[in-house]
Amino acid sequence: MHYFDHSATTPLHPQVKNLMDEVGELHFGNPSSVHSFGRKARALIETARKQMATAIGCKPQEIIFTSGGTETNNLVLWDVARSDKKHVVTSVIEHPAILKTLENLSDFGVTFTSVGVDEKGLVDPQDVENAITDETGLISIMLANNEVGTIQPITDISAIAKQHSIMLHSDAVQALGKIPINVKELGVDCMSFSAHKFYGPKGVGALFIKNGIKLKPLIYGGSQERAMRAGTENTIGVTGMGLAAELAAKNVVTSADHFHSLTETFKKQLKKILPNAVYHGHPNHHLPGLISVSFPGYRNDLLMAHLDRRGIAVSSGSACSSGDVKPSKILSAMNVDDDLNICTLRISFGLGNTLEEVTILTKAINSSLEQIRSAA
Amino acid sequence: MSEKIVVGMSGGVDSAVSALLLKEKGFDVECVFMKNWEEDSEYCTTEQDYKDALMASEYLDLPLRTVNFTHEYKDRVFNLFLKEYAAGRTPNPDTLCNKEIKFKAFLEYALALGANRIATGHYAKIERTNGSINLLKGADKKKDQSYFLYMLNKHQLDKAIFPLGDVTKKDVRTIAKERGLPNYNRKDSTGVCFIGERDFKEFLLQYFKLNPGDIVTDDNKIVGRHDGLTFYTLGQRQGLGIGGGYGFKEEPWYVVNKDIENNKLIVVQGHDHPALFHKELIINNLHWVSGKCPEKTELSAKIRYRQRDKKCTIIKCNKNELIVEFEEPQFAVTPGQATVFYDGDICLGGGKIKSRN
Repeated sequence: MHYFDHSATTPLHPQVKNLMDEVGELHFGNPSSVHSFGRKARALIETARKQMATAIGCKPQEIIFTSGGTETNNLVLWDVARSDKKHVVTSVIEHPAILKTLENLSDFGVTFTSVGVDEKGLVDPQDVENAITDETGLISIMLANNEVGTIQPITDISAIAKQHSIMLHSDAVQALGKIPINVKELGVDCMSFSAHKFYGPKGVGALFIKNGIKLKPLIYGGSQERAMRAGTENTIGVTGMGLAAELAAKNVVTSADHFHSLTETFKKQLKKILPNAVYHGHPNHHLPGLISVSFPGYRNDLLMAHLDRRGIAVSSGSACSSGDVKPSKILSAMNVDDDLNICTLRISFGLGNTLEEVTILTKAINSSLEQIRSAA
Repeated sequence: MSEKIVVGMSGGVDSAVSALLLKEKGFDVECVFMKNWEEDSEYCTTEQDYKDALMASEYLDLPLRTVNFTHEYKDRVFNLFLKEYAAGRTPNPDTLCNKEIKFKAFLEYALALGANRIATGHYAKIERTNGSINLLKGADKKKDQSYFLYMLNKHQLDKAIFPLGDVTKKDVRTIAKERGLPNYNRKDSTGVCFIGERDFKEFLLQYFKLNPGDIVTDDNKIVGRHDGLTFYTLGQRQGLGIGGGYGFKEEPWYVVNKDIENNKLIVVQGHDHPALFHKELIINNLHWVSGKCPEKTELSAKIRYRQRDKKCTIIKCNKNELIVEFEEPQFAVTPGQATVFYDGDICLGGGKIKSRN
C-alpha cells in the first residue's frame, strides 16, 4: 500500500504517537486542577503551547487550542458576526470551512466579497484592496491552497490590511511543515492550524491570535484558553500537536528538499508515460510535495479506482464526506475547462514516501492508463 | 482468473445482497456507488446512501468506488423528464435512467475498470439460449422490475447480471439478516431519488410556474380552478379541490384530460365514468429487446408499473409507432408513461404512450 494523499491527512509521527500514549496512560488530570495531577497536565499543555508558538514565531500566550482547523476558522468568522463591521473580503479558493461559514453567517448580517484568482491560483492583492468597503471588518485569505498548492502573497495583503486598519486572518492549515511560517513576518493578526495535516492527531487545531486582540468565544463555559475557548483541554491531543508542530518546523527545510526530489522524479517519469499531462498551480509559489495534474481524456474517478486497486491512494481534489468526485471549483476558478478539470488528480507526498515509491506510482499510472485505453 | 463483475451499489439491501451472492459464487467483485443527483437534501440522501453502501461493502470485504454521473443524468434523463412535463405528459425517468445511466454510462465506466459484466439488484432475469438473449420477469412476481428495463437492448443485457432474478424480496431480507449485512433492515427506497418522498407538486414547482386555469367537466361546466396543467396526472383523484355543490352524486372527481390550448383541466365524476377508459392506444418511441417488432401479436402489456399485465393485440407495428388494442378498456391511460409488452414471462420491450383512441 502506498499513500500519496498527505494533503488530506497524515499518519501520526511515531514520536508523537509515543508521547500521546504516555500522556493518555499517565497524565489524566484536569489541567485546571491545582493538585499534582492537574499541575502535570497543565504543564504538558503549556509546553505544547510553547512548541506551537515557537514553530510559527509567536508568543505562547498568542496560541489558542481548538478542535481543528474548521473550528478555528469558525471562531474567527463568528466574531465578525458580533462586531460592528460585518463585511469580509475573502477569495473563491478558500476551504468550505471559510466559504460555507460565511454563506451561513448571512443570517447574522455578515456579507462577503470573494476575490478571484489567476490561472495559477494566485490572488491579486490589488483585488483584495478593491473589495474593501467602509464596512469591512476582516480579510481572510489562505496561506496556501489545499488543491493546487499555490502560496498566496500574504505579506502584500497584510500591508493593505494594515493601511486600512482591517484585521487579517489566514488559513494556514495546509502550510505548516511544508514551508517556514513566521506569523510576525507574514503580518497576520490571526492564523489557523490543524494538527493532523503535519503528523499530529485529528481533532486538534490551533489559532494564532495577536496579543491585544480578543475574540468572542464560539463555545461558552469555563475560562480555559483565555476565555476564548471553553471546555476541559484535550491534553492528549494538544500534547501531540505541540510536538508535531515542533518537529514540522524543525524539519521544514530538509523535508522541502525531500519533496522536491520526489516531485521532480515524478514529473520526469510521467513525461515519458503521458507527455501531454497538464500541471496546475504556480511554478514558484507552490507547496512542496503537492502536485495537481490532469490526465487529458482519463476521468479522475476511473483513474483513482484503478490506482486504488493497485494499493495506491491519491485524491481527486479535496476530500469530501460523500466520497464524491465532481469538477473542482478551485480549478474552475483558475479557468481550467470542465473536460480537463474532471481528469485531475492531486498527489501529495509525505515524509515517509521514497523515490522507489514514486516509481511504483508512475508504473501504476502507466498500467492504469493502458488498461483504460484497452477497454475503450 | 475469475470473471470480474462490477456491482452498482446503492446503499440498499438489494444491491448489497447481489454483491454478496456474486462473491459467494466466486466472481471477482467490485462495487461502485453512483451519484446521479447533486442536491443532498432531506429527500435525496446521497451522503447516507453512500455511507450505507460503504458499510455493506466493507462488511463484505469488497472495494467500493464512487462515480459521479450527475452531469450525464441531468443531460440525458432529467432535462427530458422536464420537457415531457412541460408538454403535459407524465414521464417515467427510471426507464430512461436504466437506458442512459445504469446500462450505458455506468456500463462503460465498469468496462473501463476492467469488468467483464455489471450487476444490479433488479428483480428480473436474463435468459441466454442458443445465441439469443431474452429479458424475463423476476421470480418475485410482486417485485418484478422488468418494466423499468424495457429500453435495454441485447448488447446491454449481454453485459449484465441480475443476481436477484431467481429470489424474492423476502429471500433477500432473510439472506441479508442471516449474513449480518449492516443494512439488512434498511427501508426500501420509493420513487425517484431526486423526488424522494416529498409532495410531487412541491418538487415540480421548482421548475414550473403556476399557471392557473379552470377545471371543467366534459360538457364544459366550470367546477373549480387548477394551478397549472403540469401539476396534474390523468386519472388523478386527490388534490383537485372540487367542493360540494357540483355534480349529482357523492362520487369523487377524476382528471380525464388536459386541454393544453385553452389551459383547461377536464374532469369527470365517478371511477367508472366511460371517459376514463380506453381500449386502443398509440405507442411511439419504441424499444424492442430483439431490435424489431414482435412476430407474435397476441400479447399482454402493462401501461404502468404497479399493475398486472393485460391481454392485448398489436394491430399495427412499424419502426416508429404501434397501435395496440386491449381486450378490456384500460383505466387512466397516461400519455408519457411506458407501455411494456410481454409474451408470458418474456419482456419484449415497449414504448411511450402517445395517445389513446
